[in-house]
Amino acid sequence: MIRALYIFAIILFFPLLLLQSTLVPLISIVGVIPDLILILLVYFTLRMGQIHGTVLGFIYGFLLDMITGNILGSAMIAKTLSGFVTGYFYNENKLDIYFKSVVFSLIVLLSATIDSFIFSFFSSVELEKSILLRFFEQGMFPGIYTAVISLILVMFHPRRNPF
Amino acid sequence: MLRFISSVWWNFKEYIILILLLVISFISLSLNQNPAIKKVRAIAFGSFAASTAILSDIVNIAKVKSENERLREINAELMLQVNKLREYGVVNENLRKMIGLKDTLNYPLIPALTVSKSFTIAQGTVTLNAGADNGVKPGMPVINEKGLVGIVYATSKDFSIAKTLKNFELKLVVKDERSRVDGVLKWNGEDLVIVNVPKTYDLEPGDRIICSELSSIVSLPIPIGVVVGLQNVETGIFNSIKIKPYADFSRIENVFVIGVIESKQKNDLELNFFKR
Repeated sequence: MIRALYIFAIILFFPLLLLQSTLVPLISIVGVIPDLILILLVYFTLRMGQIHGTVLGFIYGFLLDMITGNILGSAMIAKTLSGFVTGYFYNENKLDIYFKSVVFSLIVLLSATIDSFIFSFFSSVELEKSILLRFFEQGMFPGIYTAVISLILVMFHPRRNPF
Repeated sequence: MLRFISSVWWNFKEYIILILLLVISFISLSLNQNPAIKKVRAIAFGSFAASTAILSDIVNIAKVKSENERLREINAELMLQVNKLREYGVVNENLRKMIGLKDTLNYPLIPALTVSKSFTIAQGTVTLNAGADNGVKPGMPVINEKGLVGIVYATSKDFSIAKTLKNFELKLVVKDERSRVDGVLKWNGEDLVIVNVPKTYDLEPGDRIICSELSSIVSLPIPIGVVVGLQNVETGIFNSIKIKPYADFSRIENVFVIGVIESKQKNDLELNFFKR
């Protein structure tokens, strides 16, 4: 079962990355774009558990760094930590509550904020900018946008478990 | 001992795995310049770029009409400018002949289309549908009709990836076209700025900024942007000059790669001068 989830997670990664790099920049707001890969990571982490979520985050980060030209290691660190933090919310008995309510978006908000904030340290050399300002500009705003997009998954999540 | 290790593993396996993966990630940070890694990355994005090219074509069809209208208007303006420049060129050619200077201004242009973009707040890259087979090489500048867009970073057979000016890794020597003052341009996460410019240097809002011939990356006089403001004016002895780029990075589609890279011979000669 876990192996099947891993395979689905890797298979779904590539079309989502395709959308992320072609269509998502069209809906950017002041340079801020949502992270569809992170939504996928949170979804599978809540299904598979903390360890598998951490490993999946590592894999996603590695693939992202290889394909998109980021510094190798930057997305790996950010996504690994996001998967680990998301894993704290893993609970087999609460999957229905997570996926059919706003709770999922709140978890995405937390993970996306952490992911964007950590990733920003590899992207910017403006160290004199205050941490709080950086947290809001490069952590919170992308996190909020990603959480809003994740509401779409909540609205259209099937009643029966697809996996 | 084994029982202790087993106990530690079962109690802390999540943290052990996290630390292990983070260590691997940090080791990867140091491997960015490794030639083997660069080759693998070029193959990875080249393969992926082939599929983004298909989706990008579908998306671009929807924007073709408005793009055509915009391009027609630009064509008309350029036609008038070209006519004026043609006259200047004739006069210039005559003057050059008179003083015997060599003509150096024939740059090969390789047309390309952006097939995907990766824009974080401070690390912008675009993937182009022209690669090594089209003559593109790392280090070549990428321009559009407005000015410099970025520099080619890596190539595969049919695609290449370019870092835009909005990328903290790109630092460029630039020149004020009016006062001929040089400075170093970089992206600070929010704005393009020329940093550490002495207050005595003559730069004013409205000045055109072009690539400097002193640059070891792009020494062609390609327009970059316009000065929009000065920062740190009252304190210290340096200003930071804020630049508004001519190119609109959120709308980059049709670009040209200038088929010129810096002469190794020239760079070696200049380095030898400083080694004496």
